Amino acid sequence: MELENALETFHSMKIESIMPKPETLPVVEKDAEIINVLKLLRTRHHVWVVESRETMKLVGAIRLLDVIDVLLPPDAYKFKLGMTRGTLKSLLGGATKAGDVAERNPLTIECGATVLDALMKMKKYRVQVLAVVDGDRLVGEVSLRILIDELLRLLRVGGVSWKR
Amino acid sequence: METVTWLLFALGISLILAKIGDSLIERFELPGVLGELIMGIILGNLVYFGIVAPQYLPIVSGEGFTTDATQVSEFLAKLGIIFLLFLGALDTDVEQLKKTGLTATVSTLLGVFVPLIMGWFVLMEMGYPSKEAFAGGVLLTATSIGLTVRVMMDLGVLKSEVGVASLSASVMDDFLGIALIIFAVGTGSLIDLSIKIVLFFIITGVIWWYLVDHYIRFAERLHVEKGVLGMVIGMMFLFAALAESWFAAAIEGAFMMGLVLSKLPEGRRLMDDLRAIGYGLLVPFFFVHTGAMLNLTVFENADALVLATVLTVVAVFGKVLGRGFGAWITAWGRGREFLFTKENLWMSLQMGIGSIPRTEVALVNLMVAIHGGAIPPEDAPKFIAATLIFITVSVLITPPLLKWAFKNEIEKARSSKASRKVERIMETKEKIKELKGSQ
Repeated sequence: MELENALETFHSMKIESIMPKPETLPVVEKDAEIINVLKLLRTRHHVWVVESRETMKLVGAIRLLDVIDVLLPPDAYKFKLGMTRGTLKSLLGGATKAGDVAERNPLTIECGATVLDALMKMKKYRVQVLAVVDGDRLVGEVSLRILIDELLRLLRVGGVSWKR
Repeated sequence: METVTWLLFALGISLILAKIGDSLIERFELPGVLGELIMGIILGNLVYFGIVAPQYLPIVSGEGFTTDATQVSEFLAKLGIIFLLFLGALDTDVEQLKKTGLTATVSTLLGVFVPLIMGWFVLMEMGYPSKEAFAGGVLLTATSIGLTVRVMMDLGVLKSEVGVASLSASVMDDFLGIALIIFAVGTGSLIDLSIKIVLFFIITGVIWWYLVDHYIRFAERLHVEKGVLGMVIGMMFLFAALAESWFAAAIEGAFMMGLVLSKLPEGRRLMDDLRAIGYGLLVPFFFVHTGAMLNLTVFENADALVLATVLTVVAVFGKVLGRGFGAWITAWGRGREFLFTKENLWMSLQMGIGSIPRTEVALVNLMVAIHGGAIPPEDAPKFIAATLIFITVSVLITPPLLKWAFKNEIEKARSSKASRKVERIMETKEKIKELKGSQ
């Protein structure tokens, strides 16, 4: 019962109330060197690429899995119609900036959406993290890890009230 | 029951051989599609030469081979074309295209229209009717981006001015090549056709551009397994049906749907599922089917070889001339004083050579032209043979020509690499000396 009540509250929570502060996000500008992106990815699962830190206009995202395309030599790719994008991310193929390897238009969610909305979107597109946006500005992120933390926090702090 | 059995058998054999052929040819650093076509040629000619009865291998069509299973396999091949173009458009970076510079734009336009017009007139001179000659010209328009990208990457010149412009130009001439086939297969007057094209573009491009977001949200709210995927493919087929009924070219609908969808992250996330359907089943089957349509007996008379030679020459020289001249005339945005320099000429030649290879879109246009009636059945075997030959020649000659064209850049890169290496060795030696001195 305790868990059910916690989940009910959890699902209806607004994303903006649980997302980390923008300054803690893994963000690079689109002209940043790929090496800087790789350094961030040693401890993060993704990096957001923005036009500039002032505007925070979201350009794309680089996920840990994208590093495969970055590190592979160009001849490891199949050059077929509809399959060329990954190819252009190869470091040896000439990619140098974050903007070269970022997947444009990453999946986003508006900051006014609920946790349930975010979970549904994650399930539909099999992703672990969504960019939280206000228009086209990156204002935060919501990941499964953040959601787990929030649920555990709810259970911990609200344990007595759930029982009541 | 038998039809189903042999259809399943043919599908199974085609797919297995397609993948093996793809793998074998890739080992020679050539586009895998050639391997799939070769496997198709082998399978098809087992039937043409009477080694296998047509009903047992229903991947060939034509007079005397028409069975229920053949019709089904023809339809599957058409689905392959539709998926191929849908995937190609979905993979396009529209934002990147918007940034295309003047050089890429002008050289694309000339790179498309010079081989088109050359092919059209040469074929008319050879006695082909205007519509058929025009269709033949359209086959020569679209460059295959893959091979050029691969070779330029290997040479380390993809990020050069010429490399970037070539990349944009190749994507744009796919658009033009796909659009131009409408004029080859479309029926009615030119005005009717133009009105239909504008209407089609307004419906599938402009209106859909604004509605697609709402459509995806609606699909998401259905909460069913693979609901968005199903709704997207469904809408793509509706667009294809509209294009087929207006222009006899279903590919236009699939292409527009892919292009519009490419702006949405949700569309891009469907890429893996769509590739699985496309490259796991329909696209390789289309290539095998196309290869199987080449009846080798067509070479018994010289017509096919003459046509192949003419199309190959026009395909190579038309592109180099058109795209190269287009790049030259813009002087790469460096002003009039750069126009008559050797560097401008050389860069433009590099640009032209990078546009030689043709593969997928030429085959797609060929099939659309044949099924749409622009190339009549009696000439289809000749055009199939000629297209397969000019495709093969174009992909074989491009890598060595590109290496030759970029020889100075390669030499520069090598020498700067070597000098950097020497510098690093010297720096290390200095550091060792310093360390020894401090000890």
